[in-house]
Amino acid sequence: MRDFEDYCWRDLMTDEMRRIFAAYHRERGIASRPAVVVVHPHSGFTATVQATWHQEADRLVQEARRRRLPVFHSVPPVESATMKIAPVAGERICTRPCESAFFFSDLEAALTRANANGVIICGAPTSGAVRATAVEAKSYGYKVAIAEDTTGDEADLLHKMALFDVAHKYADVMTLDELLAALAKMPAAEALT
Amino acid sequence: MSVNSYPWDDILDEQTRAMLARRPQRSALGARPAIIAVDLYDLVYDGGPRPVAELMELYPASCGEFAWRALPGTIELYRVAREHGVPIIHVTYDTRLETDPRQIHPTNRRRRQPDLKLYRIKEELAPRDGELVVYKKRASAFFGTPLCAFLNELDIDSLFVIGESTSGCVRSSVVEAWSYGYPVTVIADCVFDRYELNHKVSLLDMHLKYATVVDLDSALKTIRDRPAARKAG
Repeated sequence: MRDFEDYCWRDLMTDEMRRIFAAYHRERGIASRPAVVVVHPHSGFTATVQATWHQEADRLVQEARRRRLPVFHSVPPVESATMKIAPVAGERICTRPCESAFFFSDLEAALTRANANGVIICGAPTSGAVRATAVEAKSYGYKVAIAEDTTGDEADLLHKMALFDVAHKYADVMTLDELLAALAKMPAAEALT
Repeated sequence: MSVNSYPWDDILDEQTRAMLARRPQRSALGARPAIIAVDLYDLVYDGGPRPVAELMELYPASCGEFAWRALPGTIELYRVAREHGVPIIHVTYDTRLETDPRQIHPTNRRRRQPDLKLYRIKEELAPRDGELVVYKKRASAFFGTPLCAFLNELDIDSLFVIGESTSGCVRSSVVEAWSYGYPVTVIADCVFDRYELNHKVSLLDMHLKYATVVDLDSALKTIRDRPAARKAG
């Protein structure tokens, strides 16, 4: 895996910043029983930063399905028709009235019933619903992972700083390739062959 | 801050300027506001008003100079709020050992277990008799606490949020306050973080999405100008 600070926020880093946040540097990985949570944006949202987030997220979701990991879709009210990553049969859609996918939704109960001990979050916007979901997932005691390429935002600065804050405080942030490599190390019995 | 001056002015670019131009008008503070003061405990003032990078070795949880810079203004805010009957609700970490499950912590910082006494609210900002204290285990002041119920019981209709850190507990509390339906005002001079860029971007982000960011003078004026009905005495 790359150096802890060698992700999309690298051009914002200063020596001072690295020193201040060194206490957060640690080994990263994914939970042993992760679920994927796709945080779908509002229909009016267009990513200008990491605009291909949904294609990358789709790769993640495809791999999760192949491995029979639970996949959940978080959608704003009455906007499920705009989902860029279409749910397949058996995948639960959890409506979120606010920002976090957990807030006043049935996601937490669904994760418990799915026997998940961690979440892999993808979606948009990075600095809005994705970040709020990561913070609350950590608060609920889950191990949280995010692939930086699977989230998108409207502004470069907000995208980078959201991932910086989340990576240091709440989630293990990595690239999609790194995350897929971590998934590949899971016991093979779990995967569809 | 004056109409044209905000803490994030020097970090704006074309994209964030465009987002600010599209920012929706938010409902103003209500008639019965309260102040939520997040995590103003001794730990974040540890080592004194020095640059944070210099303090990390000995005081890894300190906000150093930024914590101390916000202190006089916060003392003044409390004085005016108490004089005008605006409740202050203090939030700090629940240090009871039996409330800590194994290996679960509010953030992923590697922890050198600090002296638990350092989670005592700073003396100058200490709760007075009759003021509520909320003890939390997670980032947000609302998560797993009775804060929402307290606000209903006190008939609070809007919130000022202050404290630390801007990008951590303050921000997650603001997101949740907004999610619960409260108009939120963040007082920029009374919130702080470990690094200015994280502080500024989170203020900007909260102002864009969830809250109204104001300076201390503007907040004090709002409190002083409130209708007299709820004033103390």
